[in-house]
Amino acid sequence: MPTVLIVEDEFAIADLLEMALTDEGYQVQHAANGRQGLERLAEGPRPDLVITDYMMPILDGAGLLKAMRDTRAQRDIPCIVMSSMPEANIRERVTGYAAFVRKPFQLAAVVQLVARVLDVSGPES
Amino acid sequence: MSQHEADATQGGDDGEIARVPSLVPGLDTVLCGGFLKGGIYLIQGPAGSGKTVLGSQIIYSRAAAAEDRALFVTVLGENHGRMLAHLRPMRFFDPALVPEQVTYISAYQALDEGGLKGLAPFLLREITTRGATLMVLDGMSAVDSKAENGFELKRFTHELQTLASATNCTILLLTTASSATIAPEHTMVDGLIELSQRLYGVRNERRLQVHKLRGSSFLEGEHAYHITREGFAVFPRIEAALATPTRRDAPPGERVTSGIASFDAMLGGGIPAATMTAVVGPSGAGKTTLALQFLAGSSAAEPGLLFGCYEPPERLRLKAATMGLDLAAAESRGEVEYLWYPTGEHVLDRLAHQLLDAVRRRGVKRLVIDGVSGFQQAAVEPERIVRFWSALSNELRALQITALHTLEMAELVGAEVRVPVDGMSSLAEGMVLLRYVELRSRLYRLVSLIKLREGAFDPTIREFTITDAGIVVGAPFEGVEAVLSGAREAERRAAAAHPAAAEAEGGDQGAPPSRDDTTRSG
Repeated sequence: MPTVLIVEDEFAIADLLEMALTDEGYQVQHAANGRQGLERLAEGPRPDLVITDYMMPILDGAGLLKAMRDTRAQRDIPCIVMSSMPEANIRERVTGYAAFVRKPFQLAAVVQLVARVLDVSGPES
Repeated sequence: MSQHEADATQGGDDGEIARVPSLVPGLDTVLCGGFLKGGIYLIQGPAGSGKTVLGSQIIYSRAAAAEDRALFVTVLGENHGRMLAHLRPMRFFDPALVPEQVTYISAYQALDEGGLKGLAPFLLREITTRGATLMVLDGMSAVDSKAENGFELKRFTHELQTLASATNCTILLLTTASSATIAPEHTMVDGLIELSQRLYGVRNERRLQVHKLRGSSFLEGEHAYHITREGFAVFPRIEAALATPTRRDAPPGERVTSGIASFDAMLGGGIPAATMTAVVGPSGAGKTTLALQFLAGSSAAEPGLLFGCYEPPERLRLKAATMGLDLAAAESRGEVEYLWYPTGEHVLDRLAHQLLDAVRRRGVKRLVIDGVSGFQQAAVEPERIVRFWSALSNELRALQITALHTLEMAELVGAEVRVPVDGMSSLAEGMVLLRYVELRSRLYRLVSLIKLREGAFDPTIREFTITDAGIVVGAPFEGVEAVLSGAREAERRAAAAHPAAAEAEGGDQGAPPSRDDTTRSG
């Protein structure tokens, strides 16, 4: 099953997504901020999808995505960006993401979105 | 625009979170509309306070009315069979809703084996696989016991909060913990409702209090509730619920007939519409008789209600009939209604809500509250009564109701005139005093208007009689000044002690008024 890296500083949201995606059969990794996310990406295994929050300490979602786009081995990993801000605000600051989730979100819709994004980008399943 | 537009947000970008009404009578008034969808609420109270009944009523009512799918999760408590057996007599209980819409599961094993870390994924799985929109977790105190420390409990509660929001499942946590100390989970939940019971002498009264409700206003303070076969019902404290009347008060202009032409003349044309008039007097003075004559003016356009705590409807019907008042016919046409709540262990706010429900149901315009002391006796906190009446009176005025309320004085005869409920006199626009006066070995009934805020009135003291045709107000009780105050009696005694001085001063001998002056009422 595909591997999903969740980069989220709010543990309850990270835990919830991890629970739900694990239940769906995904392998789930977790990082608490953008820098830790980059470390997980460097350590491997390479995830099939990254779900990242936008506002985080140390390195935010924009920084994470930029660093990923600048790294050849990571630039084609699809990303879902989550934020409590409207997407219009995010779009001004971040580009190159596959999908956006406005918080608070509906868990079932996020799970469906993960499947759709992975389906389009061709997961290793 | 992203490649995939996620339809994952709650109710639009910046829209308000939808409400989940509890459907428990009175509770949604206290909660100003209900719970917030996807919120997490703690309901706490001692054993026997009705937490399980409240949680059950909410899920059954919502499952029936709103087609919610609800989960009732137990940890360490009543087994499900016993719980259902106890719920069976309740009117809200519908076994047909079990197990499709109302499902009972035990989380004991998940908690026992996995601790709080195991319980969260267990609950998430149950909520998502069953598509639950409402969950009651009965036994938070057991979860608390299993937590290694306060932080772990806070973390679990925070996880539940996130879970509730992300699944749009409103969660109610039931616990026996007391609010005397601030438990860790109190700070994490979206709302905290406390149930309590208190003894007033030998009498028990149940109270509900909302301590917090994120994202919503609520009626602060304690509100009475009770549990019967009808279920759980809350009676929002009148002063809080009606702090502002539900509609704008229109200043009164018209006059409403009292049903007694001669009394209307004293009033300057009748009782000012949409006002409260207190009828004060000792037992048997004619308060209820006057009230029945007022009630007889009811019609389809002006429905009447007699809300009483003392004389039962059968006696009132008989009394009206003996005066030639055809209230029975008016009752059969739906123009008059009697509601009787004999004095006992009533809940003050329940009485008021019953009164307001009855008034609103029929659009009542003529109201008699026969026995304000019935309300006073129901008040376990007597200091509330003036604020209570003030709020209730304002609402009745705003509803354009003309009301008479009777107040019984303890003294049958005598100089002292004391309004039996402190502060009541200031709340009524009008006050009518009915009194007995003893003069020359005979009792007379006297009527006087102590006040009438809306316009001029006849300030004389008049004799009245109660005849087969009801109250008949006579001429002014001339020449007997100071009879009511008792000074007349003192004067008489002084005259008896010093007859010469009294003769020199001359003066009235206290003759009653001429019967020729008597006016019959219509």
